[in-house]
This record gives sequence, C-alpha cells and structure tokens, in this order.
Amino acid sequence: MFAITVDIILNSLVLGGIFVIMGVGLNIIYGLNRVMNLAHGALYALGAYFGFSVVAVGGNYFLALLIAPIIVGILGLVIERVLITPMRKRSMIYTLILTYGLMFVIDGLIKFFWGVETRFIHLPEFMQGTVSLGSASYPVFRLVILIGIAAVVAALMLLLGRTRLGINMRAASEIPEMVSACGVNVRGVQISGFVLGCMLAGTAGVLAGPLFTVFPIMGHDMLISSFVVVVIGGLGSLRGAVIAALMIGFVQTLAEFFITEMAMVIVYMLMALILVIKPLGILGEGKFE
Amino acid sequence: MIKLEGIDTYYGTSHVIQNLSLEVDTGEAVSILGRNGVGKTTTMRSIIGLTPPKKGRVLINGTDVRGWPPHKIVHLGLAYVPAERHIFPDLSVEENLILAQGQGGGDGDWSLDKVYEYFPVLGQRRRSGGTKLSGGEQQMLAIGRALMGNPTIMLLDEPSQGLSPILVAKVASIVSDLCSQHGITLLLVEQNFRIALAMAGRHYLMGTKSKLQGEVRSQEIIEDQELIKRTLAV
Repeated sequence: MFAITVDIILNSLVLGGIFVIMGVGLNIIYGLNRVMNLAHGALYALGAYFGFSVVAVGGNYFLALLIAPIIVGILGLVIERVLITPMRKRSMIYTLILTYGLMFVIDGLIKFFWGVETRFIHLPEFMQGTVSLGSASYPVFRLVILIGIAAVVAALMLLLGRTRLGINMRAASEIPEMVSACGVNVRGVQISGFVLGCMLAGTAGVLAGPLFTVFPIMGHDMLISSFVVVVIGGLGSLRGAVIAALMIGFVQTLAEFFITEMAMVIVYMLMALILVIKPLGILGEGKFE
Repeated sequence: MIKLEGIDTYYGTSHVIQNLSLEVDTGEAVSILGRNGVGKTTTMRSIIGLTPPKKGRVLINGTDVRGWPPHKIVHLGLAYVPAERHIFPDLSVEENLILAQGQGGGDGDWSLDKVYEYFPVLGQRRRSGGTKLSGGEQQMLAIGRALMGNPTIMLLDEPSQGLSPILVAKVASIVSDLCSQHGITLLLVEQNFRIALAMAGRHYLMGTKSKLQGEVRSQEIIEDQELIKRTLAV
C-alpha cells in the first residue's frame, strides 16, 4: 500500500509538473498577446524531438534540456514575427486559425524529418534503474525529471517575480498601454512573452520525452490537457494554472491507476463540474475578455 | 518644452481634436481647463503618443515626436499620470515604481527611497498590491511612478478625479512643490479651476472639439471669477 501511495503521489507530481509548464506557457502567451496558441502541443513535440536529436548526435540529456528549448524559442520568435505580428490588430480568431494550421505544418515536418516511428531519448547510465524509498522503489529517471520540473518552475517564478522583465510582463498582461507610457517598449515585452511561452513548451517536451516516449502526434493529447488546465485555472491566471495543473495531474494519475480507460473521461467531467460552479475557472476574473 | 502645432486627433472615427495649437515653456506650469468630453485627455494622449495625431506637429524640446511609440517619447523626459491612475493591480507598490525607474532619461536621482520620503504612506505599503490602495494612495503612487523616470516634463490628467477636496489640496501642493523644486515642466488638465489655480500659472480654456476659447493668467481668474463660467459655458 505504501509503495502504491508513493508511486501515485510522485507520478501525479511529475504529470502535474509537466502540465504546469505547459499551462503557464499558454497563459503567458495569451495574457501578453491575446493569442490562443493551438500550436503549443506541436512545439512541445518539437522540443522532445530536438532533445532526442541532441542526445542522438552525442550530447547528453541535460545538454538536450538546455539546447532544445532554445531552438524552440528561436522558432517561436520566427512564428511571432511572421505569423502573429501581422495579425496583431485583428480579432483573435485569425491567430487561432493560423496556429491551428501551424500545428499541422509542424506535425508534417516532424514526420518528414524524424519519421513516424516511436523514438526513445537515451538517458545517462545513472538515470537507469530504481531508487528505494523505504519499502517503495521508484525509477531514478522519473525522480530526476521531477527535480528538473521543480527547477524549471522555480526559475520561472524567479523570472516573473524578481526580474525587471518579469515585472514588465505581469504589468503588460494587465494594462499594456500604461507599460509603454512608463517608458517600456511593450512590443518587446509581448514578443519576449511569446518566445518564453514557446521555450516552456519545448522544455516540457524534453522533460516529458523519457516519460511518454517520443512520437509525431505526442503534442495532441498534451494540447488538450493544457487547455483543460488553463480553462479550469482561469484564462490568463498563472496561479490558477499551477493549481489546476497539479489537480489534474493528481486526478488523472489516480484515475489511470484504478480505471485506466475512463481516466480522461473523469478529467473532462471534473472540468465540466468546475465550470458549472465557477464559469471563469478557479482564479479567473475574466479581466482579459 | 511642449509645443503643439495644428494637431488633428481621431478617437476611432470621431474627430476629437481639430487643429489644436498650444505651448508650454520649460519650467512653466500650465493647465488646460475644460468640461468633460472636450478632448482634454485626448490632448494628453496625443502628446504621449497613445493616440497619435493624424496631422500637425508635436514638438518636445524641438523634436517632432508625432507617430513615435510612447516609450520613445517617454525617453525624451516625459511622464504621464492618467486620470484613472492605471496602477498595475497585480504588482506591488514597489514593483509599480520599479517598472518606471530611470525610463525618462533625465539626470534626476529619483529612487524608491526618495519617493517614499515624499509619500511616506507608499513606503509603509510597499508590499501591498496596487489595487489594495485607497484612491489618494493610488494617486500618490501614480505620481511617484511618474517621478521614478526622472522626467523633465509631467503630464497630469485630472488629479482631482475621485478624491476628497482635502486630499486634492494635499496632492496639488505636493506636486506643485515637486515641480518647482526639481524644475519639472507641468501640463495639467482639469475641470476644477480651483485646483488649476493652485498648480498652474497660465491656463488654456478649452471648449468643444478642443477649440481653445482663450488663454488666461491665474491673476485674471482671481480678479474675475465669472470669467471661466462665461467662457466655457459657450
């Protein structure tokens, strides 16, 4: 019983942690740019593939964790400049459709460059095997990934809470006009937010690669889950996304353990229930709409 | 120095400002007096670049900034205090101030400590969220935030809005002292001529469609209290 409990708790934290990184990324992009990035799952898959390739050409997993998000971030910058900027003055529907199309383009590119077969990110020696926690044992790689997730979330909190860029981003998600009237280049802040969100998707992909294996449409389920997180947490609310992500991570893990086939059904029912009680999500104030 | 030369500004499709010209000299304190909806705020937004004029020239110390993005105009030494204050609700008092720090490009030495010295209540509440402040505290924070940029020109939009008369008088005297001590040029927009008198020496009287109905010195208003009513009721 103890072993199962430890397993479920750690697995929920790992899954919830991935959701946190995805959901917060989506929310940062939305909060600053009013873009619902439907390519977020595809960028997550790209991150995993770049991670796979870095390891395949001789780098190790930690190097992949550093390089893959940077590549996805650069791609995010290109996407912002080429697709998002020209649509900035238009309704959100335009970027919604554009990023939806982008998702399929990226899916296609992944199949073209990496093929359709499932890939495995090769992990360093020390990450293979298990560690014993009292009477329970747990795979080392999952524990390392959990630490990695914690580090990413901590770094993100420092960035948003303690740096000038973080302050600018939070301010620009509320009253962008006043940010520029305070002398800050608000377009620069918005672009940074888009790139940061993409980098987070890429990071989540590298972290999730060893957990769920790497395959072309791995981003589809993740996109849906990230949306569930953002909707339950409240659109645009970073704190809400964190709470919702951990909650969904726990519920999904628990449900998968006991009634595997029904796991996602339960997650969606939970979302429906929460939305009936709180239509704007847990911490949604609806201020962005 | 601010100099507007024949600017035309639209808000959406409505032509709010039509051929407006005015001038504020360096170190001067000037007000624009007018009723609600004549285009006072739009004048401010035209200067700071938030609603750029379609025609005319907006000269800041001789440079035409019409069409520049607001942050570049701020870098020339402008600071803007909107009537709604626009305090960032999710940021603490201190973060609201840090955001604007050093952006005005002037060589003043405004810092968190110095702002707290002038507005002790902000120092006491520096960890509080922006929206937890009272109206008066929000106004002080908006002014403190403007000062953090080390501005040489301050645009102050209706400081009296939503404040009690006592608070208004207090804010007005602090701002007037600040501007004269630090040589900050002040352009003020008001409906309340008593506040305008307390803060500025020269006043533009603005009628509908931003038409200037005249220009008076404080002394003339003091001598003839009906002047404002006569001119602006038209």
